[in-house]
Amino acid sequence: MPRADPGRELPLLEILADGRFYSGEQLGKLLGASRTAILKGLHSLGDLGLELQAVRGKGYRLLRPVELLRHDAIISRLNGHSRSLLNELEILPRIDSTNRYLLERSGTGLACFAEYQHAGRGRGGRRWQSPFASGICCSVRWQFDRVAHPLSGLSLAAGVWVVDALRAAGIREAGLKWPNDVLYGGAKLAGILVEAKGEMAGSCQIVIGVGLNIDMPPVMASGIEQPWTDLKRVTGRQPGRNRIAGLLLHHLLTGLSVYEEKGLPGFQARWETLDCTAGRQVQIQHASGSLVGTAQGIDERGAICLRCTDGFRHFHSGEVTLRIR
Amino acid sequence: MDIRKVKKLIELLEESGIAEIEIHEGEESIRISRTSQVTVAAPPSAPAVTTASPLPEMVTGSGGSASTANETEMSGHVIKSPMVGTFYSAASPGAQPFASVGQPIEVGDTLCIIEAMKLMNQIEADKAGVVKAILVENGQPVEYNQPLFVIE
Repeated sequence: MPRADPGRELPLLEILADGRFYSGEQLGKLLGASRTAILKGLHSLGDLGLELQAVRGKGYRLLRPVELLRHDAIISRLNGHSRSLLNELEILPRIDSTNRYLLERSGTGLACFAEYQHAGRGRGGRRWQSPFASGICCSVRWQFDRVAHPLSGLSLAAGVWVVDALRAAGIREAGLKWPNDVLYGGAKLAGILVEAKGEMAGSCQIVIGVGLNIDMPPVMASGIEQPWTDLKRVTGRQPGRNRIAGLLLHHLLTGLSVYEEKGLPGFQARWETLDCTAGRQVQIQHASGSLVGTAQGIDERGAICLRCTDGFRHFHSGEVTLRIR
Repeated sequence: MDIRKVKKLIELLEESGIAEIEIHEGEESIRISRTSQVTVAAPPSAPAVTTASPLPEMVTGSGGSASTANETEMSGHVIKSPMVGTFYSAASPGAQPFASVGQPIEVGDTLCIIEAMKLMNQIEADKAGVVKAILVENGQPVEYNQPLFVIE
């Protein structure tokens, strides 16, 4: 991954974000920079996965306009309750992983968004791809003073909150695949990874990380192994990043405050209504083999329930795939 | 057999004063005996950590009754799994493990990750010392309260 620094290029990006043409001279004037500095800046935008078009006599423009994240625009989507739960909101131009960043902080109700995440974490060391401003990389840190409910249920509940945020944004067909893949038409739209630190009985710190695809440049997307989609593809237009980011933050914060009290049982029924695999044949690949059954929702601890030929079975771990018949 | 059941059985045995109990459940069976060859010097209320006997050779793997039996023979501080899940010794496949035998560790050092349903729980050392034994293998499923590490 090239080592361009979007922090340095941010002023230039803020001008070009609208997708209009700007001449080198104009840009130089607006930023008070030399022509050489501007050219260098334009060059490094390419390293962030942004496509630039240069036309003689017109200047430069971004081939795909970007909507940069803004503090006030995100906050405006929260209500009084979710605002009271948020202690800090940071928007970083570049970070290795928003989860890693927040896991090393202290406090509760912290949120962090990144325009560009170059070492996003996935399950089992997989990488989460997120070119500059092509999606939403968001993490929320929360502290549970006492762990009244099994933590693993949190990862399923977080899936509910992300899908509810998408549905609030008008993406009605978004759904879940156990444990918390966010799907649209069978393709992955968002991924969630929850990381936790702390003792069994005492306080516990958790970070929920969400990676949501908004408008993935095809050049970056070729490296993704599984079927995926993004909001621009499913809605046919450029969805407002700030609007989605705000709705997401609202649902994560309010969800966390409810989880503290009710745990997964508070979200189990909702999870099941959002389940894309409900009543369908799935295959589960687990530690000691694989098994086929009909998906029957989850139990109160978050295990997937399958109706198999020899009766009902619950699985706490494994990889679920839909069986195409 | 569920490790919690085994734990319950051990507690039952300790409370009752019975010397030995054997249970059959389907194809599985377990026998728990209070009269081991090792003389336990500590009071029976604290069996897990205070015995001075050397660590048995075959502590890795196999779960169930074997690891439960070993639990009572281990010396040192035992770090147990706070949840049911999968044990990961490193942050990603191929990466350097968080901890290896003989390695000195501080309080708060990450020892491993237990994953359950895409929740990655970083297990930290709650005691400083040297890693004496790692009782599970990378990628192995673990039960609630299953011993993972011995720190001395």
